[in-house]
Amino acid sequence: MTGSVWTIAIAAVLCLVAIGIYGLLILRNLIKIVVALQVFAKGTILIMVVAGGMAGKPAIGQSLAITVLVADTAITIVALALAIQVRRWCGTLDTRVISTLRR
Amino acid sequence: METSWLLPLTVFLPWAGALVVLAAGRAARLRIVLAIAFAAADAVLSLLLIPLASSRTGFSVTLGGAFGELSLLPDGFGVFLAAVAAVIGGLAVVFSVDYMRGEEGQGRYYALVLFFIGAMVGLVLSANLLMVVVFWEITALCSWLLISFHNDDPKAVAGGIKALIITGLGGVGLLAGSLAIYAQSGTFDIPTFMAQAHGFPPQLLAWIGFGFLAAAAAKSAQFPFQTWLPDAMEAPTPISALIHAATMVNAGVYLLARFYPAFSSVPGWTLAVVLVGAVSAFIAGLMAVVANDLKRALAWSTVSQLGFMVYAIGAGGIFQSQFHLLSHSVFKALLFLGAGAVIHTVGTRDMRQMGGLSKKMPLTCVVFVIGALALAGIPPVNGFWSKELLLEGGLQSGPFWAYVVMLVTAGLTALYALRCVWMVFFAPPQESHEAPGAHPVHDAGPAMKVALIPLALGSLATWLLAGPFHALLARTLPFHFGPGEVGPGASGTWQMVVEVVSAPSTWLALAVVAVGILAWVGRGVFAKMGAGLRPARRAAEAGFGFEAINRGIANAVQGAGEGLRATQTGVLNWNIAAIVMAVIAVLAALALGG
Amino acid sequence: MVIQTLVLSGMLICALQAIRAPRLLVSALWLAGCSALLALAIALLGAPEVGVVELSVGAGLVTIIFVFAINIAGEETAVAGALVPRPLAWVLMGLFLFLLLWLTVPRLLIPALNRDALPFLRAVWEERSLDTILQVALIFSAVLGSIGLLADRREPARAETPARRAGGAQ
Repeated sequence: MTGSVWTIAIAAVLCLVAIGIYGLLILRNLIKIVVALQVFAKGTILIMVVAGGMAGKPAIGQSLAITVLVADTAITIVALALAIQVRRWCGTLDTRVISTLRR
Repeated sequence: METSWLLPLTVFLPWAGALVVLAAGRAARLRIVLAIAFAAADAVLSLLLIPLASSRTGFSVTLGGAFGELSLLPDGFGVFLAAVAAVIGGLAVVFSVDYMRGEEGQGRYYALVLFFIGAMVGLVLSANLLMVVVFWEITALCSWLLISFHNDDPKAVAGGIKALIITGLGGVGLLAGSLAIYAQSGTFDIPTFMAQAHGFPPQLLAWIGFGFLAAAAAKSAQFPFQTWLPDAMEAPTPISALIHAATMVNAGVYLLARFYPAFSSVPGWTLAVVLVGAVSAFIAGLMAVVANDLKRALAWSTVSQLGFMVYAIGAGGIFQSQFHLLSHSVFKALLFLGAGAVIHTVGTRDMRQMGGLSKKMPLTCVVFVIGALALAGIPPVNGFWSKELLLEGGLQSGPFWAYVVMLVTAGLTALYALRCVWMVFFAPPQESHEAPGAHPVHDAGPAMKVALIPLALGSLATWLLAGPFHALLARTLPFHFGPGEVGPGASGTWQMVVEVVSAPSTWLALAVVAVGILAWVGRGVFAKMGAGLRPARRAAEAGFGFEAINRGIANAVQGAGEGLRATQTGVLNWNIAAIVMAVIAVLAALALGG
Repeated sequence: MVIQTLVLSGMLICALQAIRAPRLLVSALWLAGCSALLALAIALLGAPEVGVVELSVGAGLVTIIFVFAINIAGEETAVAGALVPRPLAWVLMGLFLFLLLWLTVPRLLIPALNRDALPFLRAVWEERSLDTILQVALIFSAVLGSIGLLADRREPARAETPARRAGGAQ
């Protein structure tokens, strides 16, 4: 390992992404799924900053990071609103119970 | 060049009209006025394109990346078929005013018709293969939605789905061929492909050629895909006239005609085309003879006539096939609209319950007889000229056995045309529509008349355009007509007339037609012989086993769908797992591809 | 650099705890901690503006939204037993990580290119101004959309059914 700061950051991104995906696969509660999605998105924000820094265009990378942040916030807002609606209509937030495609 | 705005306008104006009609909501009269206005405007625009036809791309906008350019090319094929689509589309819309009066969902109907017209115009004017595929699928979509228009009728829904599946499978052939062309030459542009086609590896070119042939056969309801068209007759009759007689089914013929120079050197391709055309024409002719449903008879007749056109292309007669396409579009639309007028008043499609309508529906009778004369190929109506030219061209440059088959089919055509006319208009009237309580039989309504009369006049007169039409094609299609090529009618319509009248094959064909007519007139005699033919008749009524094949395929697909349903658990986590697996696959491909 | 490592490790621990916490509110708080540490790490990497935005939006706004949502939706005890079997999840995650590593490690050895001296503010307001405008529109539409979603329309008619189904299902 070269020990550069960027390398550590990339390693952190990979771990964040992995944790996020693991959470998405494992969790059953809709709101916690949104939390896992947020974790995944933080990895994306970090990688944007890192990529900009490594390519020598830090400003572009940072503005892209802001874009991702904003888009991800918008997604979180709508996803939570949907989760609340699911809770109202189906009475539960468990993915097993709300799956309506039955055999 | 003026075409640079006229071309995209002709394609997209009907789409704008569709949106406007949908936005008109429940205002029935406004919807009708808007629909007619947009359709008529598009018809005028498409006619304006004809003098502007050229072999150079008129309009092109870059879509970026692999999609290339959306380019529109106003050459002979394009402007001719665009004019057919738009004009007959306009007439069908006018006819629908009377036919669909009082029906539910008219907004959806008119919007879909306009959407279809735009897609058809775009299909024939496109010079980019990917756009051709897109428009091809859009026409299939509109066709399905319009066939299943009465979506509470299970027969209509089944007919629509059948049409969608069969034409969709054919569309796969088109898409695969287009992608292969792109992979080989790096572009979707049609003129570029036509110039480079001979440089393609022969194996690849053969695959593309047969893929296109399959797509064309499926779209034009040719053998072995012919079963969807008769079942599509559940659509409202103006739709049958527009989509299933005059425009969408022509798309397959258009495809074959446009790409003929590229594939004519592929061994076995032209023979396959001739085979497909001849077999379709003959089988469909037989089916039309035994059909009792008026629209089914006309549907089989469409398949048969398209078979004639496909046969002509296989034999190398591009101009003849397109000329017959022009005649057929006009007279078949006329026949369907006339049938629509009859069905609308009598209330049934079964010809055995009709009869004696000639007195009650004089105008409809006259126009229907004109259409039937054109269908049978009796002079001086346009069908005669185009069919004779076609047969003569086939005799000169096609296989002889195919010519014999087509000649016999011409006789069959006359037979079933006369049979239809007789059973609907001149047979002794049946009891059912004289019974008290049945709605009175009256002639076609005013809007129907407005649509029928121009078509009848067209049937009488379009053959006069032979000379200018040939000149148009020769001028704008450098790949099909080399410089200095002289074909029939090259120096004008009068020469074509002289040629046709003096060719021995014409008299032979007329003799066969006469035999067909006599066969009907003397049918009492044949009925006694008919006992021996009964197994053949049953086979014909069962569609020669194709229906059984269709049912088998449909069941297999349904079974596979039921089996795959197990993967659709509806549980979010499994959906996410599937996404992750897909991403892994993509990453693996990237990692391995380097 | 040691600080960087510490901060990033702390962030990872918070993220892991956010996933594993049994109660929703606790999970949201761990997420807030993760955001704060991430903001610090980004600032230390040389992007202070992004760090500030991440802190206020990620650690502030999103956390508040989560708290509101959890209050409205109601706390639910997490049901045990994942639907996708854990070994499969591990395998998928492992494959994903492995492929990403495969694809990124060669790139790490690229020498640093010439630093483009574009300042951050110019990038946001001039180079990518359209993007900025679209982001504003996006946030507004998200807020309006969620207001529309949350509008009380009718009585939720199926409140009892899932209880029966949950009782009757395996």
